[in-house]
Amino acid sequence: MADDEQDLKEYRWETGYEKTWEAIKEDEDGLVEGLVAEFAQKAARKSAVPRKGPVRLGMMRHLLVAIDCSEAMNCPDIKPIRFLCTLKLLEKFVEEFFDQNPLSQLGIIAMKNKRAERLTELSGNVRKHIKAIQSLSNLALVGEPSLQNTLELAGRILRPLPGHASRELLVLFASLTTCDPGDIIPTIQTLKADGIRCSVIGLAAEVRICKKLCQDTGGEYGVVLDDVHYRSLLLEHTSPPARARALDAGLVKMGFPHTAPPSAQTDPTGNADPPITVCMCHLEEGEGVGGEGHLCPQCRSKYCSLPAQCRTCGLTLASAPHLARSYHHLFPVDPYEELPYEGQAQCCFACIRNFTELDKQVFRCGRCREFYCWECEGVITCTLHVCPGCAARPHLYQRLPEAR
Amino acid sequence: MSDKPVDDDAPSDSSLLVIIVDTNPNQRYITDDPKVLTGCLDAVIAFANSHLMQKSRNLLAVIGCHFHRSDYLYPSPGKPLDVRQIDGQYELFTLVEKTIKMRLVNLIKSQPQEEKPGESLLAGALAMGLCFISRMRRQAPTGLRMSSRILIVTGSADTAAQYINYMNVFFTAQKQQVLIDVCSLDKHLSLLQQGCDITGGLYLKVPSLEGLLQYLLWVFLPEASERKELVLPGRGRVDYRAACFCHRELLTIGYVCSVCLSVFCKFSPICTTCHTVFKIGGPLPIKPKKKKMKV
Repeated sequence: MADDEQDLKEYRWETGYEKTWEAIKEDEDGLVEGLVAEFAQKAARKSAVPRKGPVRLGMMRHLLVAIDCSEAMNCPDIKPIRFLCTLKLLEKFVEEFFDQNPLSQLGIIAMKNKRAERLTELSGNVRKHIKAIQSLSNLALVGEPSLQNTLELAGRILRPLPGHASRELLVLFASLTTCDPGDIIPTIQTLKADGIRCSVIGLAAEVRICKKLCQDTGGEYGVVLDDVHYRSLLLEHTSPPARARALDAGLVKMGFPHTAPPSAQTDPTGNADPPITVCMCHLEEGEGVGGEGHLCPQCRSKYCSLPAQCRTCGLTLASAPHLARSYHHLFPVDPYEELPYEGQAQCCFACIRNFTELDKQVFRCGRCREFYCWECEGVITCTLHVCPGCAARPHLYQRLPEAR
Repeated sequence: MSDKPVDDDAPSDSSLLVIIVDTNPNQRYITDDPKVLTGCLDAVIAFANSHLMQKSRNLLAVIGCHFHRSDYLYPSPGKPLDVRQIDGQYELFTLVEKTIKMRLVNLIKSQPQEEKPGESLLAGALAMGLCFISRMRRQAPTGLRMSSRILIVTGSADTAAQYINYMNVFFTAQKQQVLIDVCSLDKHLSLLQQGCDITGGLYLKVPSLEGLLQYLLWVFLPEASERKELVLPGRGRVDYRAACFCHRELLTIGYVCSVCLSVFCKFSPICTTCHTVFKIGGPLPIKPKKKKMKV
């Protein structure tokens, strides 16, 4: 198991026996319900990522995902084989990534047989990426991967991009070896100088060169234990990383398409059919001929879905909710205090579930002083990002820092 | 959290409706004629009872949103009231009506007298409703398909001060497949209309208050899987433009700070929200001077 604090903790094989069966104890009636509830609450607390406080996050991200397509991916230790499990999880990752970072772009690289080739270009089109991932499922897995070729390709793609967006590379690496044309250390130094943050998820075991790559460029290295752990490691990369290096902050010009509703003067005939136009995002496929769509404010080309990068004039098109989706990273909810349950309140403020003796802890908001159950605390911290008590109080809903 | 996704084509086994009633006394339709509130409340209670009548497994919650606090009007957090059958009315309907009326009176009585009523904090009530929905989903027996929606009945105007709270709530509702319907009694609410669009719900501005019950029953009673079969009020054009932080004007082309995502209408060298300085390109390259050929 790759630990960050390797100097302090021993390796897994060095620790003693864990007698996990001793943790299960029945209560007087012979039931384990209370214990199960306690385990569930503990697991929920552990999975909550500790907040590091207000850190500047990179909102606009350019992420390249490199998939290892070598022989080592054939191993069936993650069912059915590592490769198919990776593809399945990647589809979920792509959807979640664009959900959390709507203004970002993703590209996919396949590490095939000692070469690295681009599977999809860097773009914000979800369907294209998912289709490309699905097309990989019939690939024959032969040969060895080449880490250096992948790093060079990623560097070539990411280097010319503007400085205000974060440049990242995520490698899904299953092999224990790499077959490189030259010395990989200068390549790693070049990537570090360009500010490209490389992370690796290892599927087999910890590899020294991957660890060095991640440490030098400021990325994260994780090795999976099973498919559940794989999924959680992969989904951790959907949240924006802390800006380790001072990225160039820039003012990005963006368009917010809006068509005024047809008024009586412009359309005296009363026919509300808009003229038939071709949509620019479907240009190659030949579909998408239709009426409704969003027009770029600069060059009037039509796009059926946002966000999009206008091909004609280069303007980034988005709508206000896409920007708002990232606001919860900038204005996070203050973490709740955890208190042992001693009858402070009869029911949870948000869901009015009565507190029973199964609830070992209750959570209290420091600002509105209301009590919440552990399930609501999980929903509020991970999904909702709004404290219901604070949002319903007139002096607290604006979340001004001076109101503390 | 296990969110049970509902297959849109199949009818669900149980439908959960959360009604958020705006009880703020400074709404225009109440200040114009205070007696109207009783009629509107009766219409909402009748609508809630008709929802419970659709299927025996349907569930209901009503949240009252006052300016100082939001509270659950139904179900009552402690023990439910003891009701007897009156006039042959189904006991559940009597319970709903009595509980809502009693708790609403308590909520209004608890308002601080010296404070002037502020705006209705609907985002907080929406957040409570979403927590209630996720609790009901967790506690439902496995295999039960539960569809959920939230109906907001309000006469207040939209304010941009709750923008971030509203957006967080809308995205959570979209992720959990909860529809947000809005019934506006007085003004056009562009922010809530965006929420209806994001989550797939319906927005309706009621033309006359006397027919409120009729509008509620015709438009908002059917659940999501039945709505495709009906001809309902259309979406209309939703305005998704961003407003610039300096003038609050809606923009079609704007400049976005890459650090804090605040929108500006013109280029400026420093961001007013996060105080980052923007680089305006590097120093221009110096052209090598051409040596003049001396003839």
